[in-house]
Amino acid sequence: MIKLADVSYVRLGTRDLEGATHFATEYLGLDIAEQVKGAVYFKSDEREHTLCYFEGDPSDQVVCFEVEERSHLDEAAAQIERLGYPVRRGTSAEAALRKVRDFVAFRDPTGNAIELAWRPAYSGRRYHGARDAGITGFSHVGLCSSDLVRDEAFWTEVTNARVSDRIGDAPLLRIDEVHHTIALFPSPTPGIQHINHQVESGDDIMRSHQFLKDRQVRMVFGPGRHPTSEAKFLYFEGPENMVFEYSSGVREIADELLWRERQFTFGPKGFCKWGAKPDIPEFRK
Amino acid sequence: MNEAITIEQLRYVRLGTADLKGAADFAGRILGLQLVDRTDTAAYFRSDYRDHTLVYLDGIEAGQAVGFEVRSPDVLAQAERLLTEAGIVVTRGDAEACEARKVRQFASFRMPAGYDIELVVRPLQSGWRYHGPRDAGITGLEAIALRGAPDASDQQIWTTLLGGKISDWVGDAAYVRFDEAHHRIAVHPSEKKGIIAVEFGVENMDLIMQNAYHLRGAQVRIVDGPGRRTASQQVFLSFAGPDGVNFSFVAEGERIVNGRRARQFPRKRESFCNWNSDTQIPEYQ
Repeated sequence: MIKLADVSYVRLGTRDLEGATHFATEYLGLDIAEQVKGAVYFKSDEREHTLCYFEGDPSDQVVCFEVEERSHLDEAAAQIERLGYPVRRGTSAEAALRKVRDFVAFRDPTGNAIELAWRPAYSGRRYHGARDAGITGFSHVGLCSSDLVRDEAFWTEVTNARVSDRIGDAPLLRIDEVHHTIALFPSPTPGIQHINHQVESGDDIMRSHQFLKDRQVRMVFGPGRHPTSEAKFLYFEGPENMVFEYSSGVREIADELLWRERQFTFGPKGFCKWGAKPDIPEFRK
Repeated sequence: MNEAITIEQLRYVRLGTADLKGAADFAGRILGLQLVDRTDTAAYFRSDYRDHTLVYLDGIEAGQAVGFEVRSPDVLAQAERLLTEAGIVVTRGDAEACEARKVRQFASFRMPAGYDIELVVRPLQSGWRYHGPRDAGITGLEAIALRGAPDASDQQIWTTLLGGKISDWVGDAAYVRFDEAHHRIAVHPSEKKGIIAVEFGVENMDLIMQNAYHLRGAQVRIVDGPGRRTASQQVFLSFAGPDGVNFSFVAEGERIVNGRRARQFPRKRESFCNWNSDTQIPEYQ
């Protein structure tokens, strides 16, 4: 079993790097860490970067998880290849692009591009957003799944991910105390379903709602509150239809032995306890 | 130190309406109050442990009144004397009027902005708790937002005669407290007259947002918020009621236990809402 220590970054291809950068800074509130030819790196917390937009195909979407030991990369590669999924070792040039020491890449059963990295870069310069969105950090991803039961088995058997709750068959998976770091949602095609940043308070959620609405950013769900994680949330659409989420107040599961996953309905009430209805295909039947 | 009338608590609101049937339906079905008494000309509603806190009266000409409790007949007599000395015409309520208000004694006077203030002795309590027709989460009558004289000249009636303390100003609008709540009365200088909003407390922010979605679904016009008041830190939601009187749900908010200096906020929208929410109420723009 591979121990995922944290979710590290997402890499998103874009046909409009300038537009994506504008969105990420002016609207989402991230901080530019570095601009190079063909790519921009963004900071959201104490890490060197947690999002990278690069010139390329928008369907080229990668999420990376940190592992604690270099040997975990080899163990992971062996285990995943045994299951029949090819694993590729990153070159040193590719590792440099990702600001990590070493990494492996593979696709999960749905076909989502996943990377496992050793020693991703932290930064001494603290995050200071272009606007005061109250972001405290990149926190989780939603991943598309063409077969929720198969993919839940993959993630929970191959990695340390555990089911915290299910919405229908969609599992919310934790790798540490945080209620979920990976969530799987039904979709016929692979890709990142949403990207979550935590914000300081419910007030930040509501202020951003007004700020983004005033700028004609398309709201797709919320403001609302998840009955599963108890987090207050707002989902909105970014470049190339990527859904971004702000949330605050996510539940922590401190005692593994006392927690038992719960079943929620795959409908508006399972996703929001304030009464908001999602305009997100993967959250609807 | 001048003599001031000691107010025990904000007690009730009486509102004349052009459509008693429609207003009573609104108070129950939309607002979530409990009908406790219905006559040909009046509908009484409960929101907490008190017999009633809102009365709708047949006919706009019945006017608008805000009731405050004073402790004893002696305090009421003192109030009559102080108000009369200040040049205010005070009327003692007769037996029939007392019965209609379910109080032992009362005296009333007209404020410059068109509503009556009623000072009442021994208003009726209920042994039965409030149980609303829908789960709006109401905890009780919390405050009244009033229009005041355009030059704010009527504010001293609140502070000097009625013993209210100013908690904060936004421009010349004053939040006046009579107990530990940040305010029970908000007076907004205006060219227009009458009550702006009757405000009921709800349990918490979840209820504010649940009510926001519920009311939107019921085609009720939201006129202010959801938002958070900069001065009182209350989360709020205001919506249109019958006869041009709005209603609000509020939660959280500052408690002032040991008194404090009143603060002056600038007259800007952000002083009324620090989520920068939209408002249709001219006095809050």
